[in-house]
Amino acid sequence: MDKLDLLKKDWNKGHQNFSKDDLYKMIHKKSSSIVKFLFYISVGELILWLGINSLQWFYSEEYKNKIETTFGDDSLMFVATIVSYAIIILFILLLYRSYQKISVTSNIKTLMENILNTRKIIKYYVSYNLIMLFVGLIYGFYVAIHNDPVLSEMFTHYNDQQTLKFLFVLGLVIAISLVCVWLFYKLIYGLLIQKLNKNYKELKAIE
Amino acid sequence: MDKHLEEQFVEQLETNQNLIHKVCRLYTHDVDAHNDLFQEITIQLWKSYKNFRGDSKFSTWMYRVALNTAITLYRKSKRSIQTQEFDTVQFKIQASEYDDTEEQQLKEMYIAIRALNDIEKALVFLYLEDKSYKEISDTMGITEVNARVKMNRVKTKLRTILNP
Repeated sequence: MDKLDLLKKDWNKGHQNFSKDDLYKMIHKKSSSIVKFLFYISVGELILWLGINSLQWFYSEEYKNKIETTFGDDSLMFVATIVSYAIIILFILLLYRSYQKISVTSNIKTLMENILNTRKIIKYYVSYNLIMLFVGLIYGFYVAIHNDPVLSEMFTHYNDQQTLKFLFVLGLVIAISLVCVWLFYKLIYGLLIQKLNKNYKELKAIE
Repeated sequence: MDKHLEEQFVEQLETNQNLIHKVCRLYTHDVDAHNDLFQEITIQLWKSYKNFRGDSKFSTWMYRVALNTAITLYRKSKRSIQTQEFDTVQFKIQASEYDDTEEQQLKEMYIAIRALNDIEKALVFLYLEDKSYKEISDTMGITEVNARVKMNRVKTKLRTILNP
């Protein structure tokens, strides 16, 4: 007999059984599904970046005044704040929608795609924040160098080339730190969805 | 969630649990991992049970959730440390039912299947469950033609592993 037929014959035999009691206990245990982890990570991301964006509300009056004298008219800051909150809200909506689409009863391919899509939204959110942080830091330093009395005093002794060099080194240090943060994210998600990525490739290869 | 629903669910789960064990047997190598995956599948089933309205058969709904959990959602929990190898446990029970050659052949069969990738295992599972190509394509999210082609390849692959 073909071995596959032999296996088919054996296939439906029961081997192991859990009692009702065991099953009751099981369904109340905590899940270790990757969707749960993705969810925790995305909520963590939202809170983290929302926190960073909201730091300004907790500055002391003195510090706020200092910022105002350094950055002058704060209408630009105001617009930037509104835009950044709007973008955060947009991401929350996108994430909410993509989590709703994840259903364990969809077919294998759809489930994989929906999870990968959710992960992509988190990735865009993190990228957006890292880019904004980079631009913000560079801009902040640039304005501070011009307007902060202590810093601008220091820079009056620098010629243009030295200033440029300073800004370049500063930009490089910030960029390297951001790349490190980015790699850290890659590692987290890489580990989390390694199996999913591999299986998705296998499934796509069939087509 | 309400007690009655829970009772009803556990009752159906108890009757149909062999289906989950079969998925676990394909996707895990030892008893601890088997039980861990079994548990995750039951949690996922329970979580989606309130949305199960019986438009599909209980077993159809069940193997979909089971396969999705095994292939995509499940992450090994820390406590699943490799202990007993399955082959020694599973096959002891059947030793009396088979002569040595059949037992040996089955053992080889399971070892060969475990060497397949997760997607191929799903195809083998659906084949062993006697599912039609239509159902296989619906479950996997691929076309019927691709399901047929891939299924034949998997069967050939298995035969090659078994008869090198």
